[in-house]
Amino acid sequence: MKNTLMSAVYAAGLALICVHCLAQIPSPDAERNAMIELGKQFDTAEDLYNYFVDQAGSNTGISYDNMPDWSGVYSWQFPPAGLAYDTFQEPGKLADVKLYPEYQQKYEERVALRDAGIEFDPLGNCQPPGAPRGLSEPFLREYAIQPHQTWLMNEVASETRRIYTDGRTHLNELDRFPTYDGDSIGFWTSDHKLVVHTNQLQWGMYQRGQPDYSDQIELVEVYQKADDKTLVLHVWAYDPEVLMEPWYTRKEYIQLTNTDKQIRMHYWYCFDGQNNAVEEQEDGSTNFIDFDFD
Amino acid sequence: MNKLRILTGLILAMTLMPLQAHHSTAMFDDQREITVTGTIKEFQYTNPHSWLIIDVTNDDGSVTTWGFEAEGPTTLTRSGIRKSTLPPGTKITITGHPMKDGRSAAAWVVAELEDGTVLNPRAGFVAR
Repeated sequence: MKNTLMSAVYAAGLALICVHCLAQIPSPDAERNAMIELGKQFDTAEDLYNYFVDQAGSNTGISYDNMPDWSGVYSWQFPPAGLAYDTFQEPGKLADVKLYPEYQQKYEERVALRDAGIEFDPLGNCQPPGAPRGLSEPFLREYAIQPHQTWLMNEVASETRRIYTDGRTHLNELDRFPTYDGDSIGFWTSDHKLVVHTNQLQWGMYQRGQPDYSDQIELVEVYQKADDKTLVLHVWAYDPEVLMEPWYTRKEYIQLTNTDKQIRMHYWYCFDGQNNAVEEQEDGSTNFIDFDFD
Repeated sequence: MNKLRILTGLILAMTLMPLQAHHSTAMFDDQREITVTGTIKEFQYTNPHSWLIIDVTNDDGSVTTWGFEAEGPTTLTRSGIRKSTLPPGTKITITGHPMKDGRSAAAWVVAELEDGTVLNPRAGFVAR
């Protein structure tokens, strides 16, 4: 049994490294289950990342003459459950994630209050979504690839995540400090998958009406173009403060049809105009500060 | 045909969903809808939300200025609603979820111009 499980796990790992293997995965459920099991085989995000490093071997990296085409403007097609972090969450149900009891209770209370009309989103106070929340914002995205680093740009709060792919390591442990987007290092596989490890993140919500994550969270992300218009992301969150086991999900970012080039990223400031100013009320709900319709 | 059905269903689902941008929609009553007809005073085409400001003449001849909140410019562009689509002076009938506190503002659900053009600000959430 253990051998069978480990075979499945390593097959999943190989699938992420080998595009031909990925094409052989029989169904979304099977792929999801394999990825979940893969994540559970490792205690930390760093361990999973190092596993991918080992699987990739020495044939890694890209050059200006050999880069994937991620040009264009993309958007995440959110699932039927709406603004859910986990693509697999079903409408009207809680996310299928194993939280420690304290965080499960907080999550359930948040959903109950939201359903009662009591909700405030920190983005309303100009907080950026950061990572991993930013993975689940339904607005525009662009990507800038160079051999030594890749930028993941999100329209919300005009955020840019920098993925360093020049072989550097994370900051020295004693010099680390938490930020919204953390510190990301990564590498390119020979078949143009971008594998990323992120630490130094700070507290946040996976999405509005979703669980919290702590400043102990670390991420492993694997990006690859599945076809001309679809950028697929596999992501594992490890958070020993909040999660009893890694939380895996899969996302697709769709390159938008933009024939006349009128769809483009614009600066995003949350108080751009008096009518965009909101504030948290004493009961925890949200209201506009004042209107200017003159 | 199946793809068309899926796309149609997705567009319908997007229509029914609340505003998605930077703040909660707790201030709007999503169980109620109001519909008004008026004249566009200004289209505030801003991030993260846009506002369509409309002058509505009441039965007693007085004028109430209403604001209808929608998504920001990029989602509106994806929905086929550009700043130039709604110049001042345009006649419009618009439906939205009103504010719970009674102020003359609402979350824009759907609008219709005099020529029959229907404007759904969330149609752009279908990634294609």
